[in-house]
Amino acid sequence: MNLFDPQLLDRCISCGFCLPACPTYALTGDEGSSPRGRITLMRALDTGVLDVDDPRVREEASFCLGCRACEPVCPAGVQYGQLLETWRDLEWAGRDRPLVARLLTTVTAVTPLLRLLGLVRRPARGAGPPDRSLMLGCVERGLFPGVSRAVRRLLPGIAVPPAQGCCGALHAHNGDSQRGEELAHRLGEQLPGVVVTTSGGCAAHLATVLGRERVQELSEHLVATGTTPVGEVRVGGRRARVALQDSCHLRNGLGVAAQPRALVAAVADLVPVPGEATCCGAAGTYSLLRPGDSRRILDPKLDAVEAAGVDYVVTVNPGCLRQLDQGLRRRRSRVRAVHLADLLLDAAGGRALPRPRRRALRAGRG
Amino acid sequence: MGLGPDLVAELEAVVGAEHVRTARGDLEPYSRDATPMFRGAPDAVVWPRTAEEVAAVLRLATRHGVPVVPRGAGSNLSAGTLADRGGIVLVLTRMTSILEVDADELLARVEAGVTTAALAEAAAAKGLLYAPDPGSRTVSTVGGNVATCAGGLRGLKYGVTRNYVLGTTAVLPTGEIIRTGGRLWKDVAGYDLTRLLTGSEGTLGVLTEITVALLPMPATTGTGVAYFPSLADAGRAVTAVIGAGIVPATLEFLDAKCIGAVEDYAHLGLRRDAGALLLFGDDGTDDVVARTLDRIGELSTRHAALEVTLAEDVVRSEALLAARRCALPALSRLGTLTILEDATVPRPRLAEMVGRIDEIAARHDVDIATFGHAGDGNLHPTCVVDRHDEDAAQRAHKAFGDVFAAAIAMDGTITGEHGVGAAKLPYLQDRLGADQVALLRRIKAAFDPAGILNPGKLGS
Ligand SMILES: Cc1cc2nc3c(=O)[nH]c(=O)nc-3n(C[C@H](O)[C@H](O)[C@H](O)COP(=O)(O)OP(=O)(O)OC[C@H]3O[C@@H](n4cnc5c(N)ncnc54)[C@H](O)[C@@H]3O)c2cc1C
Ligand code: SF4
Ligand code: SF4
Repeated sequence: MNLFDPQLLDRCISCGFCLPACPTYALTGDEGSSPRGRITLMRALDTGVLDVDDPRVREEASFCLGCRACEPVCPAGVQYGQLLETWRDLEWAGRDRPLVARLLTTVTAVTPLLRLLGLVRRPARGAGPPDRSLMLGCVERGLFPGVSRAVRRLLPGIAVPPAQGCCGALHAHNGDSQRGEELAHRLGEQLPGVVVTTSGGCAAHLATVLGRERVQELSEHLVATGTTPVGEVRVGGRRARVALQDSCHLRNGLGVAAQPRALVAAVADLVPVPGEATCCGAAGTYSLLRPGDSRRILDPKLDAVEAAGVDYVVTVNPGCLRQLDQGLRRRRSRVRAVHLADLLLDAAGGRALPRPRRRALRAGRG
Repeated sequence: MGLGPDLVAELEAVVGAEHVRTARGDLEPYSRDATPMFRGAPDAVVWPRTAEEVAAVLRLATRHGVPVVPRGAGSNLSAGTLADRGGIVLVLTRMTSILEVDADELLARVEAGVTTAALAEAAAAKGLLYAPDPGSRTVSTVGGNVATCAGGLRGLKYGVTRNYVLGTTAVLPTGEIIRTGGRLWKDVAGYDLTRLLTGSEGTLGVLTEITVALLPMPATTGTGVAYFPSLADAGRAVTAVIGAGIVPATLEFLDAKCIGAVEDYAHLGLRRDAGALLLFGDDGTDDVVARTLDRIGELSTRHAALEVTLAEDVVRSEALLAARRCALPALSRLGTLTILEDATVPRPRLAEMVGRIDEIAARHDVDIATFGHAGDGNLHPTCVVDRHDEDAAQRAHKAFGDVFAAAIAMDGTITGEHGVGAAKLPYLQDRLGADQVALLRRIKAAFDPAGILNPGKLGS
């Protein structure tokens, strides 16, 4: 039937190399929730053996985090992320799209609406040359407006066009890849030069639509332009101990993992933590759509972060920041989740980060 | 077809309702393994946790006459986990305890669903080596390795899985739980059932626990690459190495097509202009490793090698080995249907066999790339064609028939490590002869009178 691009679907040779990388397979031990099994389900859709209403097929389209950890380990080069977008288009067409996803994607797609909701501040007009511009990000400008302010101070002169739509990543991952593409194109027209983003998820989506050369995530941009961070982050009279949580789409989609680590290590003691490269369970709208599974993914990660005895855990994506921040607060951890931009600005003496909390009780964990 | 509500309820009573699935969408992911083209969905998937649960499931299956197909990671390349007659796929991936790693006795005891890599890591943590090293180690299970008698990249010096299995706990199709072998290197009491079960491909019993021998971890490992104008040249170099009495841990080869495919994936800076490469490696004390690598380098140069380079450090070494492990999936990037085979010939005839494969490929008008374990004469001729080109797939099939015939004619075999499964069953009699096949069937019947365990495979 060719519901899926045969070029993509045929790539998979069912070797199973992707199984150990998949966080949902680690939870269930069931092939159906592994990349190979999901591709088999897509094949069954393609050949009509199963249809989109099959409960397991629906469940798996939603259970998958879309973290793309299966991509870099796949020797056959299967582009799983692309397949998943098509799959969700099929599963979540029109009314079937989960309500939360529908609401979010509607709100984020309409800038005036965002403004009304107070999610967007009118940014100060940037004076810089239009060879690069900062993307503000719909979720981030609402939840963490400080992040783009930090970037403007780290990169003085970067253009920050006031009229910015949504990049469409949420649409693409939630069953509306066509709209996701349109929005990305429109945003590409609004932002001159290289688009610098502070979100791994947006970066990966924009790169797919606009081309890899046009898009750089913050850490990538800083390293590529040789903008070395200055100063250091201190806690209680010593250099801060900092863990890094990768953004899945940044790491697995764009292959950016070394840059944020180099930047953190330049201003603090970078502490490796087991599982830092695997999904935190935020996964776009996942933590809203499947809060239970999202926490099952997050909890072992928080255990590892706490066991490592760090002061901060740095993220490069607003969704991950929110996820880790909430999780750490919930268990009253002393560890704080911060965005890379804030960490670097703090090192440069720009603004103090929140101090790690004094651990009060361990009782509220989990 | 379905199993009938009674049996499903009984299975649920044994392993818990959440560990029995019968819905179409739950079965589909278990309708294939890593073997191309073979498909067959079971009627139920069951995940037991203990040997007792396995025994109860098998008793039920025997009573109801329902096929049971044991499955580890499903990474086999012989359609060994194909449920083409329906029935139950019995998945052992919940049985993942590493029960002990004993540095004094040099052994480990694990449940069948532990991955090979997890076993190797647990051993390494105590300074010990689990020698078998199949390319699929991060995925494949120890149970699956024992059931297929997996080989691997260190096979030349260290042998295959069989050489390391000291004992097993196995559940017979009739429900008895037997312990074969034990913890001893020397033990000749009775028929060697441990060896019989090793390589029995899930047709005689379900392995639930395995005791394997470990070795002290060698002090160093080293790896090198030699590039040759052609695979035949590389083959002659291998013969020279073995002939000189050198037994390195690793001696692997890739032909030009494989080099290109691996390089596209792994970006190691391999020479794309070479006709073949030999990847060689050894482990042991520093001086022994250095000497072995030097001598192989020398012999390669004497046999027309274009260039020989040694890996400067462990990271580089590991990268080269990892690249070799992924040769098959990397090759699959060249087309949409990848058929990998597993013929083996006596070591000195490797170059000759490679020549025969080229001839056969040309005769059937297909492209066959070849890589493999040069040190043990184990070749993996691999044909990549377009999935939708029926004719090409047919030609590939015929070509491989000829490849197997050629291997047998050279005193070789139709599978060196991947097993017979359903895929090689049609060629088995050519290799073993009618009398031996008949004996195999009698052995199978002794273990499995109702014929429920992995039917249609080895022993059928
Ligand atoms: C890319 C790639 C590289 C590979 N490299 C190698 C290699 O270097 N060397 C090599 O030998 N093989 C290799 N293989 C083949 C495969 O990985 C091995 O055959 C492996 O041992 C299978 O293990 P598994 O856990 O996946 O078993 P499965 O594929 O699940 O099962 C294999 C067979 O064993 C039976 N079985 C599984 N578990 C049990 C059990 N507990 N009790 C009884 N029977 C059981 C099954 O019924 C089946 O017949 C490779 C495969 C791939 C895809
Ligand atoms: S997605 Fe890649 S790694 Fe996973 S089974 Fe398919 S080919 Fe193998
Ligand atoms: S995207 Fe992540 S969760 Fe989904 S199949 Fe791949 S590895 Fe598993």
